Amino acid sequence: MSTLLLRWHPGRWGWHLLTLYTALFFVFVFAPIAVVVAVSFTAEQGVQFPFHGTSLQWYVRLWEYKPFVDSLLTSLYLAIASAAAAILLAVPAALYLGRSTGAVATVIASFLLAPIAIPALVVGMSLLYFLSAIGIGVSFTALFITHTIVSISYVMRTTLSVYRSVSQSLGEAAAVLGASSWRTFIHVTLPLIAPGIFAGSLFAILVSLDNLALSYFFGTANVTTLPVVMLSYLQNQFDPAIAAISTVQMAISIALLLIVEKTYGLRALTTQ
Amino acid sequence: MQIALAHSDTIKRRAAMPRSRRWLLIVPALAFLIIFFALPLFQNAVRGLDQQSGNLFSNYATLLTDDYYLKVVVETLVVSFNTTVLTLLIGYPVAYYMVRRAGRMALPMLFLLVAPLLTSIIMRTFGWRVLFARRGIVNEFLDWIGLIDRPINLLNGPFSVYVGQVHILVPFMVLSIIPVLRAVDTRLEESARVLGAGALSTFFRVTLPLSKDGIVTGVILVFMLSTGSFITQLLLGNGSIVTLPLLIFQQFSLTQNIGLASAMGNVLLIIVLTCLFIQLRLTDDKRGAR
Repeated sequence: MSTLLLRWHPGRWGWHLLTLYTALFFVFVFAPIAVVVAVSFTAEQGVQFPFHGTSLQWYVRLWEYKPFVDSLLTSLYLAIASAAAAILLAVPAALYLGRSTGAVATVIASFLLAPIAIPALVVGMSLLYFLSAIGIGVSFTALFITHTIVSISYVMRTTLSVYRSVSQSLGEAAAVLGASSWRTFIHVTLPLIAPGIFAGSLFAILVSLDNLALSYFFGTANVTTLPVVMLSYLQNQFDPAIAAISTVQMAISIALLLIVEKTYGLRALTTQ
Repeated sequence: MQIALAHSDTIKRRAAMPRSRRWLLIVPALAFLIIFFALPLFQNAVRGLDQQSGNLFSNYATLLTDDYYLKVVVETLVVSFNTTVLTLLIGYPVAYYMVRRAGRMALPMLFLLVAPLLTSIIMRTFGWRVLFARRGIVNEFLDWIGLIDRPINLLNGPFSVYVGQVHILVPFMVLSIIPVLRAVDTRLEESARVLGAGALSTFFRVTLPLSKDGIVTGVILVFMLSTGSFITQLLLGNGSIVTLPLLIFQQFSLTQNIGLASAMGNVLLIIVLTCLFIQLRLTDDKRGAR
């Protein structure tokens, strides 16, 4: 590592070494993912790579193993519902904060973005006691509240950054031309900030689908999320079914990404 | 004239009226997060205190004096520190290459860098278990090049935990460094070279200091994310590395001591809040200087 650091800068050889290093880095990044996708198509009974023969038997097993299907549906439903709730809560807040510069507004903005930074395990544990005390306990409602907290921050972040980059004068022009504030919002502001809302919701959904720590405390025997089921499955047995469900989840995430890409392009994702 | 004036008045009112009640927009989000986020965390802080015995801070005293718990607190910090240093060393050259050399490939490479975020952490961790297995491809490879003559145990130890942690967190480091490195004026480096500085000293005295902001952002972000993570420790460490979140996760259903569990959560919270505070201070300094 350090010899590489010392050598790369001067001359052609340094760049060749750095190119090779970067290529190896991306092999490192994708090797564990590629191997899981590959293993999901194995015809063998155990997890091993390389393997002999391909089959879809592990996908059939997924279909037959009820907890995987049920929890995947719960996770999807939960991710979409909490993202929708987050949009309703975070977009108005972003509209306010995007045009406010005072110290109070800065503090509020930091507070609304804080749930991303606080360890999900601590949020989940604290909420378990709180929600049990007010009679919500472990239920889908509890999962919904917990996931909405974090989703608000993701939607806030992208919406705020897009809204701040949008010129204020467009909204004012609409108002001067006689548009009511509601009409200005629907016809001028909303289309302008829509990429930010979409990007934030996508982040929120992807994070929600994968967030074990947030869901861990609230799962019941009937209602629980996919990561929780995957973890308990993995702790009991080590077979390619995990590879298959992982691949399905990845495919769903890629599909969601493509929908956002087709709707608004991915540029909004890179604004922050 | 009067009509025009009256008209301009309504315009002003139309633009101004919502403004006075505009703060209402923030109420739903703020109320939701105060009730379901701030209040439970505050409750948790109170729960961590010991109201029964005379010493309010007995739970924290246990965490910081009991050999076992102290070791866990220290290990949490050490693992996060090592992970952060490793991601910086591994990620910086990649960021450097992507900014200075990738050219048209920079955008596709950026996409490749964020693509793993589309997969679950459990999937990536499972992937390492497959690769590092006794008869896995890494052991086969090491055997083939003659480095080992029988399979070695790569799993269930600190090595596999660090590999898993770095693998998950290194994209965040690279993504933090790239924008700052992109803003570094290459003419400064050229000037240093023209004035006789060697390639190496140009890098260490010009490029590296100028990309400090990106390094700081990445270091704080990775340290924070690392402090809260436990899936890699759980699935790749097999108990060889026990950190606070892992202990909370494992003991939650077993332990009867709710106060101690809350205190552990709060220590974790304090570590993260300290990171956030440092970050805020550093970005504030920057604003003041401008």
